[in-house]
Amino acid sequence: MSVTSGNILEVRGLQTQFNTLDGVVRAVDGVSFDLARGETLGIVGESGCGKSVTALSILRLIPPETGRIAGGSIKFEGEELTTLGEEAMKGLRGHRISMIFQEPMTSLNPVLTVGTQIAENVVRHMGVSWRAARERSFEMLDLVRIADARRRLDEYPHQLSGGMRQRVMIALALSCDPQVLIADEPTTALDVTIQAQILDLMLELKEKTGTAIVLITHDLGVIAETTERVVVMYAGRKVEEAPVEALFAEPLHPYTRGLMRAIPRLDIEADAAGMRPRLQEIPGLVPRLTQPIPGCAFAPRCGFATERCRAEPPPLVDAGGGHTVACWEVDRVRASAL
Amino acid sequence: MTAYIVRRLFATLPVMAVVAVFVFFLIRFAPGDPAAIIAGEDATAEAIAQVRAKLGLDRPFMEQFFIWILQMLQGDLGVSIFSNLPVSRLIVQRVEPTVALTLSTLFVAVALAIPIGVVAAWKARRLVDRLVMGFAVLGFAMPVFVLAYILIYFFAVQWQLLPVQGYRPIAEGFWPFVESLILPSVALGVTYMALIARITRASMLEVLAQDYIRTANAKGLATDRVLLLHALKNAAVPIVTVIGIGIALLISGVVITETVFNIPGLGRLTVDAVLKRDYPVVQGLILVFAAAKVLVNLIIDISYAFLDPRIRY
Ligand SMILES: Nc1ncnc2c1ncn2[C@@H]1O[C@H](COP(=O)(O)OP(=O)(O)OP(=O)(O)O)[C@@H](O)[C@H]1O
Ligand code: SF4
Ligand SMILES: [Mg+2]
Repeated sequence: MSVTSGNILEVRGLQTQFNTLDGVVRAVDGVSFDLARGETLGIVGESGCGKSVTALSILRLIPPETGRIAGGSIKFEGEELTTLGEEAMKGLRGHRISMIFQEPMTSLNPVLTVGTQIAENVVRHMGVSWRAARERSFEMLDLVRIADARRRLDEYPHQLSGGMRQRVMIALALSCDPQVLIADEPTTALDVTIQAQILDLMLELKEKTGTAIVLITHDLGVIAETTERVVVMYAGRKVEEAPVEALFAEPLHPYTRGLMRAIPRLDIEADAAGMRPRLQEIPGLVPRLTQPIPGCAFAPRCGFATERCRAEPPPLVDAGGGHTVACWEVDRVRASAL
Repeated sequence: MTAYIVRRLFATLPVMAVVAVFVFFLIRFAPGDPAAIIAGEDATAEAIAQVRAKLGLDRPFMEQFFIWILQMLQGDLGVSIFSNLPVSRLIVQRVEPTVALTLSTLFVAVALAIPIGVVAAWKARRLVDRLVMGFAVLGFAMPVFVLAYILIYFFAVQWQLLPVQGYRPIAEGFWPFVESLILPSVALGVTYMALIARITRASMLEVLAQDYIRTANAKGLATDRVLLLHALKNAAVPIVTVIGIGIALLISGVVITETVFNIPGLGRLTVDAVLKRDYPVVQGLILVFAAAKVLVNLIIDISYAFLDPRIRY
């Protein structure tokens, strides 16, 4: 484990599990990554691979009735979060680490005004008056380019479009100048033109504030446009990590390659309905996470799979230049065409 | 909002008109001839006819109806057959205890039920939840008069903390007034509390699973703010609906409680009037109870608009 050098967040061997009727779901099974100050890290993977659970684990928002962090360590500025007291954790949430959720339509409280929902965060963490917090809320709405921000403060979420609600969420998340912003598929629920605007806005604000961002998405196109480094997740595990150029120049994991063939590419024009052509899905299904997977989780869907793949989990190995991959057959993969 | 309230107020008029017509015909078609009852058991046919003429019951139906409507619009609900006092006066005399009992019961029930329901939902499926909800089921299953006698036995007879029965008007001092209401309100309120607590728990559980509650927690807000502002306000509409239904139930419950605790309210007046077939009084009481329910409904409807900005008016 490294010393806290430039890293604001260090996740090591994170394991998060849920008790369900079918058994224990190992939603996150030994994931590690670092986030440097001011960096934008992407986490990518298919639906259900544990991206949201990873994000919620960092904020310790896993519903305690069914889920728990079963192992590993999460260090924020050198401080261990997995064992931090609940009150101290509350002091971090929305203040030093904040989050934007996947579903803008349902993430804001329908019966409270937008102004109240932003201002309460400011009052909670900055110890200022409601009046000052309201002024701050106005500035934030203005910053995320909501027109007529002063009037919007007194509006309810149902009076705003999906794109505007996500802007409100961004304003809320950044209202106390967090060091880390976790954006969990912030644009997935929005239509394509709005998606680009929201991503641009986030990057622009990041430049201004120096906030480090964990950007979660299942869209490699978004990753290519916005992040510096990428973690690829599959079935609750990290299968590959690389600087973004290296990943796109030479993806080393068969799963990453599969994802790349499936990219709805941003450089291909959207059709009239605003949809880009979907290229190629990876055949097969994500494995059930209730049974421990003995070998490589991707083996049932992998064209390179061997006996060893099914029997022994591949360790993460350094492929040079900050590129790591967990695949037994990496040399064969490298030699093959994309 | 004001326009909405005015509109809702006007919308209650047809309802009240229907109730009035219904009451009039109900009484006219009910079995038993009031004239014969009033005239007494051994009255001659002639005497009965006399009484009938005095009450105006010999006139054509429509005429009776219009006279009645006209009087009612002037606030005249007729005269009691037995006491010869105006019905409106009888009702006004008896209204204070009933209103006081209804409001204090409502207060007891809501003040206990909402915290219980909120805590139960917050600690769902844990010990506190099971205890509190078990208690609520017990309360719901307990007949009002049984609980009333148990309460009287302990609090009034054994420990002598509170009066056994009777009602003290507020004019005789606030504390005696409150004392006289405690046992009846608790007896009456417990069933009702159970009902509201259950709906509060169910509604809160649903709300606590929503995404915006996770957002509230992601702000690091204090638990009470998340529960009482973010969640409860969203859970309020079904709770308020059940409170409204409960008030309707309460009005029937008042009849029993007033009898058990010997409180001279509208419930007792109703029992007496029905037993004596004092038709004008019964008519007047039905109208008053109906108006009360319509009013409660109106208040509930208007409160929805305050609680949920998405409800359009
Ligand atoms: N509260 C929960 N109870 C039980 N299982 C859960 C719970 N939350 C998540 N899971 C399981 O954990 C796994 C990972 O879910 P997660 O939400 O992290 O996926 P994701 O990568 O964010 O997918 P998506 O792209 O669809 O958002 C899934 O198999 C999911 O069923
Ligand atoms: S370890 Fe084997 S199964 Fe897994 S990705 Fe590599 S080649 Fe495929
Ligand atoms: Mg997700």
